[in-house]
Amino acid sequence: MNLLSFVFFAFLCILLLLYYKAGSGLQWKVLLFASLVFYMWARPVYVVFILISIVSTWKLMQNPVKSHFIWTIVINLGLLVIFKYSVNFGIHDLIAPLGISFYTFMTLGYAHDCYDKKITPSNDLLRYALFISYFPQLTQGPIGTYQEMQEQLTEYHKFDPENIKLGAYRVIIGVFKKLVIAGRVAFYIDTVYASPKSYGGLTIIVATCFYLIEMYADFSGYMDIVCGVSQMLGIRLKENFRRPYFSKSIPEYWRRWHISLNEWFNTHLFMPSVTTDWNRKLARLLGKVFPKAKKGTLRLIFPTIIVWIVTGVWHGAKVSYLGWGIYFAAVMLISFCTSSYVKKFSKKIHWNPDNVFVKIFQVVRTLFVLSIGEIIYRSESLENMKAAFRNILTDTRISGSSIAAAMTPFGNGNQAAASVIIIAVLAIAQFAVELAKEKDEKAFTGHRYLYAGAMLVVIALFGVAGKSNFMYQAF
Amino acid sequence: MKKVIRTLVIAAVLIAAAVIFKNTYSCNMPVRNRGIRDAIRTGDLDVLFIGSSTFRANVDMPMMDEAFGGRVYDISYGGNQLVATAIQYEEIKKRSDHKYGLIVFELGPMMLTQEVALSDSRVIWDLSWDGKKKLWESMSQAGNTDPAMMYEYFVTSGMDDLVTFPVTEPFYSTRYYKGAKTDETPSPGAEKLESAEFDISDAQLVDAQAKAVSDIIEACRRDGQDFVFVESPCYHRLQEDKSFQKYRDEFTRILREKEAPYILAEDVDFDSSEADFFEDMNHMSAEGRRAYTKELIRVLTERSGV
Repeated sequence: MNLLSFVFFAFLCILLLLYYKAGSGLQWKVLLFASLVFYMWARPVYVVFILISIVSTWKLMQNPVKSHFIWTIVINLGLLVIFKYSVNFGIHDLIAPLGISFYTFMTLGYAHDCYDKKITPSNDLLRYALFISYFPQLTQGPIGTYQEMQEQLTEYHKFDPENIKLGAYRVIIGVFKKLVIAGRVAFYIDTVYASPKSYGGLTIIVATCFYLIEMYADFSGYMDIVCGVSQMLGIRLKENFRRPYFSKSIPEYWRRWHISLNEWFNTHLFMPSVTTDWNRKLARLLGKVFPKAKKGTLRLIFPTIIVWIVTGVWHGAKVSYLGWGIYFAAVMLISFCTSSYVKKFSKKIHWNPDNVFVKIFQVVRTLFVLSIGEIIYRSESLENMKAAFRNILTDTRISGSSIAAAMTPFGNGNQAAASVIIIAVLAIAQFAVELAKEKDEKAFTGHRYLYAGAMLVVIALFGVAGKSNFMYQAF
Repeated sequence: MKKVIRTLVIAAVLIAAAVIFKNTYSCNMPVRNRGIRDAIRTGDLDVLFIGSSTFRANVDMPMMDEAFGGRVYDISYGGNQLVATAIQYEEIKKRSDHKYGLIVFELGPMMLTQEVALSDSRVIWDLSWDGKKKLWESMSQAGNTDPAMMYEYFVTSGMDDLVTFPVTEPFYSTRYYKGAKTDETPSPGAEKLESAEFDISDAQLVDAQAKAVSDIIEACRRDGQDFVFVESPCYHRLQEDKSFQKYRDEFTRILREKEAPYILAEDVDFDSSEADFFEDMNHMSAEGRRAYTKELIRVLTERSGV
């Protein structure tokens, strides 16, 4: 069910009615039923696979011993690999069940927490099923943890008009980001990245900057919609973004972008890898090659490489995703290994980290490093990636004709200037709205009516209709 | 609750007002150097071009001005659609009493294969409400309409231009002169043109576009309007392509059947294998534009007597 469809709007209205009419014992069951309806809407048969995952994990984790934990991993990762990577083995007619990457992570996270005895396994299959299948977070996250979600999902929520208003407001912000901002820049990016060899360096740089905007507007817009919907139901989802493009370093960026996924990798893959015997042994071996290096730093090297390669491949079995993972592994390692030298050097040249120009420099530097990674990620083939880098390095000129050429992917010259102006104004407006949201989170005060009304007008008049698939749905 | 309803009502009123304004008055916005309104403002014309971006790039308007004493104009955005061209013709006839010595329509073979769709929102911006409705009906008959398309067509398309008009209009108007391009685009060179990829082997004839050719001819005859179809030369790789030739034959077959006058690429003395003359497969560089226009003026004068 597409979140930007009238069907979903009707579904949500009916659900809210039934949900708040239901008594305390029934309310969460209404939510479970609605989640299964949501899931089955596109392809009813795929409910079988999520049910296999739910039932097997719940049953095995009733007794969370090592063998059961391993079986849970085999079953869930097995399904994920079969559906997600079958195309790489020549099987083209298997369509991955909706949200399989995300619910697999939630399932594995739950199993790992049970195995580590961080949580008590659920003794109620239906309540556990709701945790995994809760529809707002099912298709693209955020990847909630059992501790955070279970009580909220199953406790009784009294109807609160403030929740409905704040939730709807958040949904409007999400739709605005997706349809107006992401939708407007997407066409440009698709055109340029379909054949980067046909475009000059400046055009590819513009497309890459737009891609950063699109990714954020698309993904955080989706999160705003699902968090808003969830808030209408009285349930708070984990925040997945904290203005990531204002990060001063790449490690900080990854703490502010897709927070729940990165926390999942940190908790369930990175930290366990750091403490394993094989990692200690490898770190010791590396210590012999680099005797001056700190032991702590050496222990981070292999887990970092593993986490980033897995993150890359999680997006899909494509060379560009693998390259993206390797690139960020390298950036993170360089960041770990050089941080102490950079600090010393900064002190030496009296580089004040609180100075606003230093901060701007750091933010721009982070965006620059990030952009290189995104060129790798967005390129549809190795050849396109090479062409993109080659043209940026050899064919970037700031001249009247190259600026005019950079306008052409907007479709036709007549709309180019209008598009640039609209995108710039909207991006600034959106930033202002986000700042206001952070300052005034709790109450639905007067200015929010103004923002909401203005955004509704802009969505209606400038939204890109009919092209509403979210980027992360593909994963 | 009152505040929520008030917000929704005010938003709905603003949206409706903007939509009505755009659809009714967009064709009257004072745009310069392009479009039907500006063509009408120019007055009686000896030659009026109606075509796509090919005419926009390949016709040198200062040279045309010199040849025809300034009585020439180029309406050059039809989104590659003959259906749009037919509607633009009806529109300019309906909205003006001016006399047009010769109307030059584009003989673009691949235009026969274009879907009847919203391929260039400038066409809609330029049409009156009746013209907009007519184009929509054509799209509907061709089965290319759905609620999302309807929304894009009547609500969102051209809104950018409407709200940014005071800022963008001066910028746009410098890029055109009487509907034709003014920039001095160079050729990317033989190497790039020879290696550029294009694939038109899957192109299919769209009946509505073929019918539009007949409609244009019949409308001109009904109005006693002199006209000619002109094929603008493409770079030799496209010009010699089998699919291209197939649709070129189809286009000329319709014209012959209707006994309509036409000028083919080879009727004009122009070397379509000269890479310096092209910006891409079907748009000319500034150098090519001037070389072609010089010869086109000669042929138009000789053959059509303008």
